[in-house]
Amino acid sequence: MPQVRIIAKNFMDMVASLPAIKLDKLYHNPFICEAILRSMPPLAKKYVLQMLYIDVPVTASLLNEWVLPDGASKHRVAVDRLIQLRVFTELVDRKKETTYVLNQMFKMNLREHIINGGEPPRKPMAANITVRLPSLEDLDNYAAQQWECFLLHLINSAEAEVTTKSISPSMMKVFQRGLLSQRDKEGPRLTESGFQFLLMDTNAQLWYIIREYISNSEDRGVDSADLISFLLELSFHVTGEAYNVDTLDDVQRTTVKDLADLGLIKLQQGRKDSWFIPTKLATNLSISLSDASSRKQGYVVVETNFRLYAYSTSKLHCEILRLFARIEYQLPNLIVGSITKENLYQAFQNGITADQASIKYIVSFLQQNAHPRVAERVPSVPENVTDQVPHHLYSND
Amino acid sequence: MTPVSSKQYADDVSLLMVLIDTNPLFWSSTAAPLPFSKFLSQVLSFLNSILLLNQLNQVMVIATGLNSCDYIYDSSLGLTTQRVETLLQKLEEFVIKDEELNKDDSVDGIGSSLLSGSLSMALCYIQRVFRSGSLHPQPRILCMHGSQDGPGQYVAIMNSIFSAQRSMVPIDSCVIGSQHSAFLQQASYITGGVYLKPQQPDGLFQYLTTVFATDLHSRNFLQLPKPVGVDFRASCFCHKNTIDMGYICSVCLSIFCKHHKKCSTCGSAFGQPQTNVSTSNQKS
Repeated sequence: MPQVRIIAKNFMDMVASLPAIKLDKLYHNPFICEAILRSMPPLAKKYVLQMLYIDVPVTASLLNEWVLPDGASKHRVAVDRLIQLRVFTELVDRKKETTYVLNQMFKMNLREHIINGGEPPRKPMAANITVRLPSLEDLDNYAAQQWECFLLHLINSAEAEVTTKSISPSMMKVFQRGLLSQRDKEGPRLTESGFQFLLMDTNAQLWYIIREYISNSEDRGVDSADLISFLLELSFHVTGEAYNVDTLDDVQRTTVKDLADLGLIKLQQGRKDSWFIPTKLATNLSISLSDASSRKQGYVVVETNFRLYAYSTSKLHCEILRLFARIEYQLPNLIVGSITKENLYQAFQNGITADQASIKYIVSFLQQNAHPRVAERVPSVPENVTDQVPHHLYSND
Repeated sequence: MTPVSSKQYADDVSLLMVLIDTNPLFWSSTAAPLPFSKFLSQVLSFLNSILLLNQLNQVMVIATGLNSCDYIYDSSLGLTTQRVETLLQKLEEFVIKDEELNKDDSVDGIGSSLLSGSLSMALCYIQRVFRSGSLHPQPRILCMHGSQDGPGQYVAIMNSIFSAQRSMVPIDSCVIGSQHSAFLQQASYITGGVYLKPQQPDGLFQYLTTVFATDLHSRNFLQLPKPVGVDFRASCFCHKNTIDMGYICSVCLSIFCKHHKKCSTCGSAFGQPQTNVSTSNQKS
């Protein structure tokens, strides 16, 4: 049975997989050059910086001399990445030696940046315009709420409020593809990927959705390179500042509307103009690491007797826990459940293969969302639970 | 597929403290290999490129003057737009203030900059970052120094070096002047930083990006200049002269070039030297 795996690496893997012509076009935008440079492995960044003012091709043997014997593997990874991103062009000169040249456009844009310093992509709203802007905290809450709402909607939860969801059903179908499987008579069920998806952290989930959004863009008549460049540009905006929607072109305007539904952007109508305010989700988009401040506080306490206490009011959290635990009762701010054999079996029926990966997801989910009180302890999840959750399954077979 | 790692900071996030020598006596002398304006523009490009490498990188610039030193730029305060303008304005204010302090006493020859002061300030800032939370970028100090060593600052500089060593902060040195700096050689040697005296100061930017832009993580994998020879000579506490041989207090380890009746630092009484050999001590 072919398995669909979610590869939630990062934005740049997607950029790297673009066809050469599109990639070259992307490098005309200085922000993309900047974002791409930042996404590279440390050694690759270093090479680019070192070669920025070297106009002749640099031979591979010279490049090798920069590295200590310990770094040989890292060096190869860095050079491969540079070639893959077409930042380096590999040439073979007359003496049969491999040489590398930096992408001309990329080089020019970075030189410009180094001399002049970075400029923001567009000017934020002038201070003299009186529009009440949400505070950063409000904005974070808005983003979290919007995202949660979207996820509930995505998994077709009965709990999803029938709010004014403007994401078109066809769009939703695209996102659901791979995550849900439709069986006859029954309602849609989570596939293995969907199961893993729900247990990932927000950044990884966001990235998965954005990836689907981008790969689907051609069907909507939007050039994927344009979309990527806009999304990358967005991450250079300042969180919480309002930007005029008039500065966007038509494609970007529809994109902004879609992103607002995901909680990446908050739209605000002023007296004359409308504004868009990027939230933390948008500005973190090109960063592949999870920012400490975007990390939500944990809420789960697991006891050695497999009982589970979740201090949360969120319906989404309840839905997620339901995937592998029996919810016993729900209080206004507390969900109590227990991880049982039956529930785990149930989770792994319906085509979800009981392989190690999914189990790891349950355990890592419990660890990552540990309540601050237990998170201080080592281990945050009792050892017998981390050991036995996988064991439960294998003992059955 | 592995679960998303909980790592929150990439390996190469760095906090770079740059100490710039603004000693007017050095920059106006013949010892300066390039004009200050040219030097500054190369350094500014270097700062831009450090901030370009990682969005979490932080740069802090401290000006080392003749009589004072001060923070002149902090990249964490935001405002990417007028990076250069703010820095230059602060620098100008600093130079004017530093000059005013100078009027009281005249300096003969090329005076030395207050390196000990700026090193201490850099270390203080790093300590503050260390204590502000569990998450912090990896700090390092880069001294861009031109003027001669001031033997009078020997004790203060050595203290700074040892406290940098204790807190595992490497001190990189880029010596622009015509002579090697014994203080900075020792500083980089003891703290595990890189000491470099560029052969062609015109290409300073290339030296800076090639050598000093290397983050601490990548230093494990890249070839960097090795220390050639380190001048370990100490200054005596009494006349601030750099000496090869001298007297050393057995109680507090203060160094003197001549024999004294008692130690000026801790007050211990010294006996009369029996022979020249018994009390003299070679520093290594």
